Amino acid sequence: MNNRSPLHKALLIVVTLVVAFVVLWPMYWILISSLKPQDKLFASPIDYFPLTLTLDSYHRLFTAMDIVSMSIATAVITALSLAITMVVCTMAGYAFARSNNKLILLAFGFVIFSTMVPFIISVIPMYVFIRALGLVDTYLGLVLLYTSHMVPFAVAVMTGFIKQIPVTIEEAAEVDGAGTTTLIVRIISPLLKPAIATVAIINFILAMNEFFIPLIFTIRKIVPLAIGITKVPLSINMHYVEPWDLISAMGMLIIAPIVIFVVIFEKRILSGLMAGSIKE
Amino acid sequence: MYGGTTVLERRKLLIAWLLILPVLAIRLATTAYPTLSIFWYSLRDYSFLLRINEFIGFRNIAYLVTDPKIGNAFSFTFVFTFVSIGLMLLGGIALAHLLNVQFGGRRFLRTTALIPWALPMIVAGIAARWAFNDVYGIVNDLVRRFAVDFRYDWLVSPVGAQAAIIAVDFWKNVSFFAILTLAGLQNVPSELYESAKIDGAGPTTLLVRITLPHIKRTLFIVSLFFIIWRLSSFDIVYAMTRGGPGSSTSLLAFRMYEEAFKNLSIGYASSIAVALFVIMAVAGVVGIAYYRRVDY
Repeated sequence: MNNRSPLHKALLIVVTLVVAFVVLWPMYWILISSLKPQDKLFASPIDYFPLTLTLDSYHRLFTAMDIVSMSIATAVITALSLAITMVVCTMAGYAFARSNNKLILLAFGFVIFSTMVPFIISVIPMYVFIRALGLVDTYLGLVLLYTSHMVPFAVAVMTGFIKQIPVTIEEAAEVDGAGTTTLIVRIISPLLKPAIATVAIINFILAMNEFFIPLIFTIRKIVPLAIGITKVPLSINMHYVEPWDLISAMGMLIIAPIVIFVVIFEKRILSGLMAGSIKE
Repeated sequence: MYGGTTVLERRKLLIAWLLILPVLAIRLATTAYPTLSIFWYSLRDYSFLLRINEFIGFRNIAYLVTDPKIGNAFSFTFVFTFVSIGLMLLGGIALAHLLNVQFGGRRFLRTTALIPWALPMIVAGIAARWAFNDVYGIVNDLVRRFAVDFRYDWLVSPVGAQAAIIAVDFWKNVSFFAILTLAGLQNVPSELYESAKIDGAGPTTLLVRITLPHIKRTLFIVSLFFIIWRLSSFDIVYAMTRGGPGSSTSLLAFRMYEEAFKNLSIGYASSIAVALFVIMAVAGVVGIAYYRRVDY
């Protein structure tokens, strides 16, 4: 494959540039919209390379909305659900990987294939249930639901990874009198670092993508960023005209950390998605 | 039961169950239990607003069949799902091949392709609402660089809004389809290509005779998941059109949300959920049965 014809090479570059344009151009447009002076925003044709750039939109966004507590709410929900997911999925992954009991394998199949039931199907009974427990608009309720969403992918990756660890290590430790807890905490967990990193990175992105859960299960006490961006027009009493200056600024605040994550962890995300999603 | 090892074996099995208990419990509670419940709720006149909750048999389902709003939702949901899957198959297979090529720009290309997958749909959708604006939007601005007089208000016309939603969904999700296809593509033995090339096979022959038969199973299962995700899409409509203009872009999931959380008629909304679940279950069962019969 190394000696391609010049035509082939040129074609490859052109197609790559087209893909890059389609993906990156709209993102650049959001960025530049958030940095334009307000009066330049409604120019047609669009001025993609304005001479003056300003952080004015960001300034007004922070005055209009409590971005800091939204970011904290998002971080708290994400961090707690991730932490719980890691612990319960390492435990389950170990049991699934090391067991050949039929019922346990059936349970594994259920956990993986339950992703085929989208949350939209279960949302009504879940709402009745969470409301009865008084957990609407609480961190506990949200973390429970976010965790449930993170679990199947994490179990798939963890189980697959633990299966590749030779059993002989554990057998040796067992001979030395180690119990299951010691095995998992001392022997298996340290070997799991790459899998844990993969699951954490991908689930961080999935948590930032989550919109339907907070839409239904928060009212006003907890406002994650994904909900916040839909409330920008209300915050400045603009119900009919879109405050694109503030929305683009808020969009950038949400997008930026995600894009940085993708750029840094491209390889890990890609291999993680391929390993966790297709189980043959 | 194997004599002396029985106690130890049983103990190990018990520990295994304890280890999987939290995961199993949370998934049962958030999928199995609610799925069964919607069938029960759909038989009831259940409303938070009117504070009623009584058994009414199949009246919700009967109403579902005659409700014109639901008719629209069904037809757009099917159009959205099938057009989308068609585009995903074409674009996804092509992009997967591109992502698989060894060349200097590979890391850049792969990173770029991952970005739409990673972006929240709600942000992409809100930006898209602005992007498809006739006067200020990036889409028409781009078209006007070539056709100066072009005027079209995408989200005001039903067909335009539907097309825009399908386009944004494609923009955001085709790379995920491609990445999952890439996993299958990397399992095709490269010797096959080498020997076929020696026999003088062209690129089309390679694709049709070697690649597609080998990634058939992957494509099938990925498409099945994508169909189920398309059938349950919600964020994109909430962000871009809120179902409008009229109810032209109201997907079933969005319609169900409005009945449940705007009109607060839980019983009727549950019957929509039941209909959606039955469609997905049929797709899933038929899909998996067929998947098992397809060999490599």
